[in-house]
Parts: sequence; C-alpha cells; structure tokens
Amino acid sequence: MITELENEILIEKKAETSNCISVKNVTISFKTNGKGTFTAVKDIDLDIKKGEIVSIIGHSGCGKSTLMNSISGMVKPTSGEVTVNGNKVTGPGPDRGIVFQNYSLLPWMTVYRNVYEAVDSVLKDKSAAEKKEIVEYNLKMVNLLQHKDKLPSQLSGGMKQRTAIARAFAINPSVLLLDEPFGALDALTKGSMHVELLKIWNLNKRQQTIVMVTHDIEEAIFLSDRVVVMNDGPEATIREIVNINIARPRNKKDIVHLPEYMKVHDKLLSLLVKNLSIDDVIFE
Amino acid sequence: MKSIFSLKTLYSIVYFVGSMVILLLIWSLVSAITKNEIPGPIATWSVFFEMLKDPFYDYGPNDKGIGIQLWSSIKRVMMGFGLGSLLAIPLGMLMGGSKFTMNLLNPLIQVLRPVSPLAWFPLGLLAFKASEGATIFIIAITSLWPTLINTAFGVSSIPDDHKNVGKAFGFSRWKYITKILIPFALPHIITGLRLAIGVAWMVIVAGEMLSGGVGIGFFVWDSWNGLSLEKILSAILIIGFVGLLLDKFFNGLQNYFAYENKK
Ligand SMILES: Nc1ncnc2c1ncn2[C@@H]1O[C@H](COP(=O)(O)OP(=O)(O)O)[C@@H](O)[C@H]1O
Ligand SMILES: [Mg+2]
Repeated sequence: MITELENEILIEKKAETSNCISVKNVTISFKTNGKGTFTAVKDIDLDIKKGEIVSIIGHSGCGKSTLMNSISGMVKPTSGEVTVNGNKVTGPGPDRGIVFQNYSLLPWMTVYRNVYEAVDSVLKDKSAAEKKEIVEYNLKMVNLLQHKDKLPSQLSGGMKQRTAIARAFAINPSVLLLDEPFGALDALTKGSMHVELLKIWNLNKRQQTIVMVTHDIEEAIFLSDRVVVMNDGPEATIREIVNINIARPRNKKDIVHLPEYMKVHDKLLSLLVKNLSIDDVIFE
Repeated sequence: MKSIFSLKTLYSIVYFVGSMVILLLIWSLVSAITKNEIPGPIATWSVFFEMLKDPFYDYGPNDKGIGIQLWSSIKRVMMGFGLGSLLAIPLGMLMGGSKFTMNLLNPLIQVLRPVSPLAWFPLGLLAFKASEGATIFIIAITSLWPTLINTAFGVSSIPDDHKNVGKAFGFSRWKYITKILIPFALPHIITGLRLAIGVAWMVIVAGEMLSGGVGIGFFVWDSWNGLSLEKILSAILIIGFVGLLLDKFFNGLQNYFAYENKK
C-alpha cells in the first residue's frame, strides 16, 4: 500500500520530470470574411512546467489571447497540438480556470450567482454549505463580498474583472489561464491582487500552474518565472523567452533595486519598444 | 419614490383619450354618411349599456350574456395559445440550438405559416370530431409560429461570450439550458408570445363564426342574423379592448424580463 506521503512524493517526481502544459508546433488561422485565411500565430513551441508562472507579453493584436485560447481549448489549433497534464486539449475543461479578457459574466446573475454556478458545476460533490463557503471566501479575497448581490451592469470594469478572477479561482483548477486579468484595475487594487494571486499560489504549495497575458512589464517581472515575448502578427511567433531569476518570495519594493531586475526590465523594454528615445522618432 | 401618476403616464392617458376622440369622430361621420344605416356611437352606447347591465344571464344555448360569451372565448384562446406555445418553445429551442434542425424545419415553417386559420378548420373537425376541438386546434396552429420563430432566433443569437462560460466551467446540459439559454432567450420568447396572443385573439372570432355555440365570434355572427348592428359594433369594441389588454399584459412581461445591459 502506498502511504499518502509516498504518494505525494511520487506525484512530485512526476511533476518534476513532465511538463504541465506543452504547446507543440501550433499554428492558428482564422477564416476571414472572404475566402481567405488569417494566420494569427505560427509555429509556436512552449513548454510550461507544473507550478510555473509564465507571462505572455506582446503588442495588442499579436495573438496573445489566441495562444491562451489554444491552451484553454476555446480555439482549436489549425496545426500542431496542445497537451495539458499529458492529455491532448480538445476543448475547455474545469482543470483549467479561465479569466477571459472581456470578463464574460452572465448579465442576468448577481456577482454571487456568477461565481456560485461555476462552483456548483465543477465541485459537484461538495455540499451546498461548502459551496457557499467557497464562493464567499473567494469573493472576500477580491473584496467583493459587500457587492455580492449586484448585477454585472451595476459594476465597474475593475469589479467585473475581480468577479471573473474569483470565479476562476473558486473552482481551484490545476492550471489558471488569465487573459489580462488586472488590465482594468487601478494601481492600488492591482498591487493587492498580485499579492493575493501569489498567496493562493503559495497556499496551493506552488503546484498550480499559472499562465497570464499582460501588457505590464513590471507586473510580468514581479509575478513570473519566465516571460514569453511575442513578435507582432500576422503569423506571430515567439520572439524570446526571458527568465526571471529573482528569488521568491519577492517584495515589490525591494526587487526593483536588484541588478537582475533592472537587467530583465531593460531587456523586456527593448524587446517591446523599438524607439527608446524621442530623438529616434523625430530624426529617423 | 416614484409617484404612480408620473408625467409620462399622464401624457399617455391624454394621448389615449385623443385617439378615442378621433375614433368617435370618424365613426360618427361614417354613421352620418350612411344615414344611420351604420349606427353611431350614441345609438350603440345604449345597446352596449344594456349588454353590460347583465353580462352573465343565461337563457339557454342561443341566448347568453356578453360576459359568458367573452369568457368562453378567452378560455378557448388560452387553451389554443397555451398548447401552441408548449409546442413552439421547445421546438424553437431545438431549432435555435442546432443548425441541422433549423435548416431541416425552416422550409416546413415557411410553407405552413401563411396558411389561413379557416383552411385548417376542416382538418380540425376531422381530427377532433367536434367544433370545440377544431377551434382550439386552429388557434394553436396559427399562433405558434411567432413564438417558434422568435424562440429560435433568441437561442441562435446567444453570444459566444455566454456560451464560453458554460464551456469553461463545464456546465451540464441542464445547467446550460436553465442558466444561460433560457435567461438569454426569454425576452425573445416573450416577444414571440406577445405576437402569438395577438394572432390567437384574431383567429378566435373567425373560428367561432364557423363553429357556433358560445363565444364572442359566435355572438357577432348571431347579431348579424338578428340584424343588430349596434351589438356587432359593441362586440367589435369589446374585442378591440380585450386584445389591447392582452397585449398590455405581455408588454408588461416583456418589460419585466428585459434586464439591463444585455452585452
Ligand atoms: N475569431 C477570430 N476570427 C478572426 N480573426 C481573429 C479571431 N480571433 C483573433 N483574430 C485575429 O487574430 C489576431 C490576434 O488576436 P488576439 O489573439 O486577440 O490578440 P491579442 O490578444 O494579442 O491582442 C488579431 O489580428 C485578431 O484580429
Ligand atoms: Mg487579447
């Protein structure tokens, strides 16, 4: 008989050796209005280990959401394949919690109901009281408990986003896919959401794999183990993957003074911004 | 606090009264031109008033008060409308949910929808062996189309955003139907029902003229045979006002279920 501890060790071993998410040679094309096709991303290879936090960064419209959606199963690759925990992705599943870029809340349900229905659907075996507790815990985490009876139409953009975050977290998925999750938040709320995200990740013994799309270089560095920088589309590819070798736990105030921070910050900036000074723009 | 008589309700009452005044003017004019062959509002009113004095008298099968006539018509309409809707809503959902069913059934609907209720009547008689069943049948079959089409449209236009929620969080088929499909399609379904009740109320008069018995349509026919144009005009007014009330009721439902911000 395998004891629980042994079992845990076995799982850890397996996790160390295998990738959690594996994007193999993925190309995604869309049919355009006419008869043509538009290739958003091309020949993408990306392996993400269990428990890693990876950010995808790139200019608007380069295909970040498209790449994310191929992992979530919302979009089928035209060629290539995506596997999650060894299984080929053929559609969305509750092992992957998604925060959509446009929040995707159901407008006829309150904040509480939006989260509850997801929990009720995924965590079927839990009792009603347990589900209620999970929902309220997650709403509290995003500071929305006092707004739980509001409809999405009565919420600000940031509040909608936090509801979507609570919903994805509440089903406790092994993979979290966050598409610009903090985009609509003010700087203060954003900061506390970063901390909450890492708290949850720590609570889950850093076993949860997180993939996040962002525009924000500081955010990417603070949160991630690696940052995937994408080229501009069409036929966008991965430009470079930058490792963030900053020890955890990271302190937002302190890490900005580290040489490693400045190095990766400069690097990401120069990868993303072509014209670094105004002179270049004027005299080019 | 909202006062019951807001300016808006006051305006709509004023407009309604204005409309009725126009009706009375045209009516009086027509009556004058035909030299009272068509009775005017005042002559009609005295007959109408007599009818309303004792609406529920019952002097045997061919002589019943207007209230009894109206009530039996409303019951029939509700039966036909209810049966039609019970068929139309699930079928509409099926069509809206699958391109295959939509493509398969759409031509059938296009062919059957324009058929007059009068044309269905003999088939109803044959099938139900009774005029009562036939009347309900023609109401059902002619009033189900707006509900069917609107339901199918509502279900087929559910945005991907909403569908994605169901997919991402593994909603069961039942949860998808009750938490996403129906809430989204409900305003469309109610629009369909509102159109359908209008059709049903129009068809009842024709149906009852053919079937005889009791009912507002039969009452019109009977008054024609008794050469009481005042009664016919009174019945027309009653039919109009009941139709208006039915429409207002479904309009109220529509407003109640039209949630804000459908984006
Ligand atoms: N369903 C779709 N049909 C057609 N084109 C699409 C579709 N989804 C995305 N695209 C196109 O693919 C490109 C990448 O889109 P997206 O992944 O949303 O970019 P990002 O998230 O990086 O801003 C864009 O040019 C967009 O217009
Ligand atoms: Mg995007």
